[in-house]
Amino acid sequence: MQLFIGGACAGKRDAVSKRYPTAHWHRLDAGAPLDGWRGSAVSSLPLVVTGWTAWLEAALDNEPNDDRLRERLAAALDKLVAVERKGGPTVVLILPEMGRGIVPMSPLKRRLRDLAGWLAQDATERAEAVWYVRHGLVKRLK
Amino acid sequence: MIVFVSGGARSGKSEVAERLTRECCRARGGALYYLATATASDAEMAVRIARHRRERGDAWRTWEAPLALGTALDNVEPGASVLLDCLTLWAARALFEARYDTAAGLTQLEALLVAARVRSLDLVVVSNDLNEDVLPQDVETWRYIAFLQHLHRALAGQADRVIEVVAGVAIDWTEGREAT
Repeated sequence: MQLFIGGACAGKRDAVSKRYPTAHWHRLDAGAPLDGWRGSAVSSLPLVVTGWTAWLEAALDNEPNDDRLRERLAAALDKLVAVERKGGPTVVLILPEMGRGIVPMSPLKRRLRDLAGWLAQDATERAEAVWYVRHGLVKRLK
Repeated sequence: MIVFVSGGARSGKSEVAERLTRECCRARGGALYYLATATASDAEMAVRIARHRRERGDAWRTWEAPLALGTALDNVEPGASVLLDCLTLWAARALFEARYDTAAGLTQLEALLVAARVRSLDLVVVSNDLNEDVLPQDVETWRYIAFLQHLHRALAGQADRVIEVVAGVAIDWTEGREAT
């Protein structure tokens, strides 16, 4: 599993497109199942999973318990890793970096920031390589 | 040489950029210019500007960056070293005052970089990293972040050196371009 992380408009999409020009892109819609990629992924093509912020924003409203939400996300990551290990597609995650600002006034935004941070840590733990995208440049962190 | 230096608030990015510009100046023996983008819009900004000016010392010739950034280096003699501090403020004025769209903003930046190369200047550009926060809800802030990031990406793609500053420490990102 490959993880690309970076801030807003940092160039994550371009960095991934350049490295995986033939990839199938799966966008996690708000409220959609986390394994929605199962329906469309093809083993021979890299699978890019994006849209985590939109999914998280919607999930925060329905799940008040952050630990449970984090566990759900970690389980989704485990499934992706398992599929890749069984000869499935190379999995590429695009995650947002949003933890380097002022603590938000809104509780929901604070939770969003926490969960995005935990998701990134949990993804890094499982990823083979982690790439930090900053102003269009890419640095390997892991 | 073109250098892009960025970091968070009070990360020490201006100090790192000033040091680099001075080093360029010493190596080349040309004049030292400070291209300021901040205007004293209130008393706090005036104090802030005075502090920056005091810390820089009097070796610098200071003038204000125009909205038409592409013309900023028109009167600078070849071989000089120029520090532009900071692109973030220029971007805000370009977007909200001059009402530049992304293409117009990029054209101005491009003209600035071309002028620096044609005149064989050392140009060090300072900016703030603002895009690693929770995404803004209001449209105008979003538009600003997107505009600024277009500039940052263009600059990072063309600069000879790209530096991130964290707690006064310069982290080199120049290698990152080869990998893209």
